[in-house]
Amino acid sequence: MNQPERNPLRRPVTRRDTLRVLAGSGAAAAAALTAGCGSKDERTTLRWWSPQASPDQLKAYKAQIAAFEAANPTIRVVFEATSDEGYPAQFATAFAARQLPNLVTHLPSFAAQQYYAEGLLEPVDDVIKAIGIDRYFAGANEVYRTSDKHYCATGIGNTAADMLWYRKDLLAAAGITAPPATWDELRSAARKMQRDGIYGAALPYGMNAMTSLIFIGFIHRAGGQVFSPDLQVAIDSQPTYDALAFFQSMREFCPTGASNFSWGESLTAFVSGSTATGIYSGRVLANVAAQNPAIADAIGCTTYPTMSRDIPAWTYNDFPCLLIPKGAPHLAETKAFAASLYQPQLYAQQMHAAPGHVLPVLRAVADDGFYRANPLITRYAAEVDLMTKAATAGHNLGQETAAHKPNLKANEIIASNAIAELVQRVVLNKENPKAAVAATAVRLAELMRA
Amino acid sequence: MPDAAAARPPGAGALERRDALLGMALIAPTILVLGAVIVYPLLSAIYLSFFSIYTPTLEGHFVGLANYRDLLGSGGFWSALVTTAIWTVGTLTLQILVGVGMALLLHQNILFRSLARGLVLFPYFLSTVVAVLVWRWLFNDLYGILNQMLMNAGIIAAPVNWLGAMPNAMLSIMVVGAWKFFPFVVIAVLARLQTIPESLYEAARIDGAGPVSRFFDVTLPQLRDVLTIVILLRTVWDFKEFDLIYLMTGGGPVNGTRTLPLIVYNQAFGLNQMGMAAAYAVSMMLVMLVFMLAYLRRANARSEADSAA
Repeated sequence: MNQPERNPLRRPVTRRDTLRVLAGSGAAAAAALTAGCGSKDERTTLRWWSPQASPDQLKAYKAQIAAFEAANPTIRVVFEATSDEGYPAQFATAFAARQLPNLVTHLPSFAAQQYYAEGLLEPVDDVIKAIGIDRYFAGANEVYRTSDKHYCATGIGNTAADMLWYRKDLLAAAGITAPPATWDELRSAARKMQRDGIYGAALPYGMNAMTSLIFIGFIHRAGGQVFSPDLQVAIDSQPTYDALAFFQSMREFCPTGASNFSWGESLTAFVSGSTATGIYSGRVLANVAAQNPAIADAIGCTTYPTMSRDIPAWTYNDFPCLLIPKGAPHLAETKAFAASLYQPQLYAQQMHAAPGHVLPVLRAVADDGFYRANPLITRYAAEVDLMTKAATAGHNLGQETAAHKPNLKANEIIASNAIAELVQRVVLNKENPKAAVAATAVRLAELMRA
Repeated sequence: MPDAAAARPPGAGALERRDALLGMALIAPTILVLGAVIVYPLLSAIYLSFFSIYTPTLEGHFVGLANYRDLLGSGGFWSALVTTAIWTVGTLTLQILVGVGMALLLHQNILFRSLARGLVLFPYFLSTVVAVLVWRWLFNDLYGILNQMLMNAGIIAAPVNWLGAMPNAMLSIMVVGAWKFFPFVVIAVLARLQTIPESLYEAARIDGAGPVSRFFDVTLPQLRDVLTIVILLRTVWDFKEFDLIYLMTGGGPVNGTRTLPLIVYNQAFGLNQMGMAAAYAVSMMLVMLVFMLAYLRRANARSEADSAA
């Protein structure tokens, strides 16, 4: 019997054929990878972390990176975004795993103080010297002074994070001629302006860092403090009860969802026109221009009202800073790159990326024509100047007043949400303020001891 | 009776030894991988729980059982345990009810059944972060469609505070959890439904059973085994659910939705107390172990009862 002649082109694919193809593909892939290795970027890589990473800010950072890389061809810089609420976790794991970024910017001053105290940061005295300490606003770096007479960080900007933003048109419609200066005036204005689906205020009542950070300001605006200058717990006092009572009285003028507000929701509530007043930084300016230009001519800001006129304003400035983790490689290159970020024109461009939100720490830049030529800074010159002044004199839990010692536990106190919980217990759960404050005082003492 | 050893062919012992060695060699990679990804982290967590450790440096000192004493003595642990149990039972119940109902529906000969079977998996495949963002907008009091629809329908006069008040916040996360994870129940139950012999239903019809009786007397008993497994797995997964709750409510209002995994995260990365976080995590594992043992005991008892019958 004749076997049919096999067509070699039509024979079935065998397992051996398949293995051959796989082996060939693998070899080709390996060759390609090897060839790729040959063209590997040999430059030194610096990693830069920041929680401030809006599209415009990223563009400004890229310009700064490009300028530095052009001047230093053997170095490349990679930017990586972190988050405002999540940075403590990101840093804890980065330090624990020794996968450190070379440079970090826009973290609050109290985080820098804590990390330095734990031996996790390099002092940045060299960087400040390279930039020129005389170019900063007077005392701009004092908040970064450490007990061993070094600087744990240096300011990359200032932020007046709890300004009172208001709608001039709604104030006028309510028959109010001047922005509120006291809590009674603010409450009265909020009551009058709350109508037609617009709420009076956008205060945060959520279980998050914003509520803690903002409420600390209200304690100070009632004349109180969370800790005494020598860092004894001082929250259990009449000003705290007054601040809680005010916060409680304002709840009816805030949106229903304010009990879950964090920074984004609070900002959007005012920018969208859902509230007549807001509490935020200069980020409002760019967001109104981009998202709700119809109200752009009607907005203004002032320092947040105090309980009475004889109590001075207290502005929350997180003192966004630049810091260098200890143990990251290429320290000299990192310091050179850090100093390059303050090159006046590029630094001003970085400020332009979030006009009014991140305010300059370099005096010359703040007064410079190029910086002030930004359309939003020009349009809202009075507001920007006020925020610059307020932020320069601002404070945070890391150092509540100039008389306070740096609080190295501030970062963990904010992360614990102990103060936000106090607000929620009293305002949302209607718990007895005295008992709630006493419990918070105990909790704060525990955190300070931990 | 012939001697067994004497009856064995020469060289059999060496062959068995070689087989045994080969078996050990083949199973070794599996044991190594399981040891690296399960046993080592488990032992490491238990070890860490006896120390006070600062997370960024992983440096600390031995404190013995102090972490356990502190956590068991604090109201926070017990309150979070109760909250975790409420969340787990609530969302699991919804997942089972919706999942079984949907599986029964998709088992019917309906129009676009294949498309529907594909689409029903969508929530399960969606990233939790994306799902939470969408749901937070739906729940938003100022712009959310949920409040708008309810107000337009005249059901509510003012926006409901879905995520910032209790019990709304807990109910909301239970619903979102059920929406996200019910497809797992659908997949498992639908697969089992397709293997139930049609003859059982025919016999039930002949006996005069209606649809409800057929469901309770035929379908449900047939689903018992698969539902037991599904409930066990989903209980474990829901008990340790973190991202959905953290992103939806952050544990608030006050501590209304603060479950144990949220405390573990806060202890480890907020307060930088890795030892205490490990103590919480080990305690969670012990609680799950209780569930697991209860399940195994019940399964053994059922198995013995079936054998006896």
